[in-house]
Amino acid sequence: MRRIYLDHNASTPVHPEVLTAMLPYFAECFGNPSSIHSFGREARDAVETAREAIAGFLGVAKEEVVFTSGGTESDNLAIKGIAGAPRSGHIITSQIEHHAVLRTCQHLEREGFSVTYLPVDGHGLVDPEAVERALRPDTILVTIQYANSEVGTIEPVEEIARVARARGVPFHVDGVQAFGKVPFQVREIGIDLLSFSSHKIYGPKGIGGLYIRKGTRMVPIQHGGDHERRRRAGTENVAACVGFAKAVELRAREMHDEARRLTQLRDRFWEGIRERVPDVRLNGHPTRRLPGTSNISFKGVEAESLILALDLKGIGASAGSACTSGSLEPSFVLTAMGEPPEWALGALRCSMGRGTTAEDVEYVLEVLPAAVQRIRALSPANVA
Amino acid sequence: MYNPTLLDHFRHPRNVGLMRDPDGAGESENPVCGDLAKFFLRVTEGKVAEARFQTYGCGPSIAASSLATELIRGLTIDALAALTPDAVETALGGLPPDRRHSADLVVDALRAAAQDYRSRAVVVPEGGAEGV
Repeated sequence: MRRIYLDHNASTPVHPEVLTAMLPYFAECFGNPSSIHSFGREARDAVETAREAIAGFLGVAKEEVVFTSGGTESDNLAIKGIAGAPRSGHIITSQIEHHAVLRTCQHLEREGFSVTYLPVDGHGLVDPEAVERALRPDTILVTIQYANSEVGTIEPVEEIARVARARGVPFHVDGVQAFGKVPFQVREIGIDLLSFSSHKIYGPKGIGGLYIRKGTRMVPIQHGGDHERRRRAGTENVAACVGFAKAVELRAREMHDEARRLTQLRDRFWEGIRERVPDVRLNGHPTRRLPGTSNISFKGVEAESLILALDLKGIGASAGSACTSGSLEPSFVLTAMGEPPEWALGALRCSMGRGTTAEDVEYVLEVLPAAVQRIRALSPANVA
Repeated sequence: MYNPTLLDHFRHPRNVGLMRDPDGAGESENPVCGDLAKFFLRVTEGKVAEARFQTYGCGPSIAASSLATELIRGLTIDALAALTPDAVETALGGLPPDRRHSADLVVDALRAAAQDYRSRAVVVPEGGAEGV
């Protein structure tokens, strides 16, 4: 059976060149980067070369890049690391952040911090003026995602950065979904901390990074050796660092063309759905959105049954984020965007990537409308 | 993720749709996930002769509804009212823990249909000979 993967916001396949680059760092060059001998030095060289490549891609200094175990750890390190310096204060975030940010903030609330969860508009945009209004003398951090994983909306991070900087408040950006998909320079924007991940851009799982602008005051959250300039204890995952850097290098080459191609595919997909299926709506911003991401609601269809129907046809799509797909309730992101439950429950996320072709999109456009029609025919809502 | 019996009922649902002048009808809704199931019964000599369904919900809820229309054929109304979610789940070949609500949904709707049949049977007695 033909298989089409439309869940690139959840994870991506490791690029063959990435895999090849990683292989020597398991059994041949296996040393501990902290060791003094030549085995260790070889591993250290690999880690630092990788760090340099990633820093170069971001347009930052190599000392400002910390390797972590992934996006979730990066978010935790950024938020708890900043919060741990003054040990009290106020944090501003939005209602549609990834759970790695939301639940970290909720944890800090239980620890005595206060948190403002800003609402978003119908497209999922945070209002920079609302950020400004929420700022307090004791605000220690503003944390807003670059792009939302479920709907793909790209937040006005430049404006938010200006607001935060004017008040001297550190600005953390969860860039996991945008990193390597849309071009941006962290210095020009004025980001103080940026979380990013490898497995969303055809690198291995289990590795990510956090950019920490020089001079940012924070504490480590994981204690141990002096790794990563004492900002993140633990022996570096050498092979993963190498793979991550290779993935970044490939993104630097492909990203611009890919972004254009995927935007076309994405728009063709929505156009095709709209022509073929009644009672549909596009969630997220119509244009200010990640290139490959389409979140579409089918009224009268419960998304789980649609995902199952598509899966039986070899198509892998999702209902919002992979982390919450076991949940029975409508997406908190769509709910925050003001979407009524009858629409939110029928939301399908299709996220395309470098393996997605125009033929794939046409195939899905053949299969999907029939699946929707079939499920709607089973439903009492259709007859009522 | 799902077993072959469940997938078969999802792919080829049996007895879908409305029934003209049913002898009993019932529905149930799960307020958390929004799933909604409706059943229609044709009852002959106190036993379920035919059942049809309409369901809005996840794959397991659709499959459990389809399976139930076959499972309950031939049951007395008392047996239908006593049907348990476990019986539906077992017949379906098992459900993942986070999809058990599908069996609850179907059983609640079927019990409501059984109750509806009983209330009709009392209100419109056919020379007092109906049912019981």
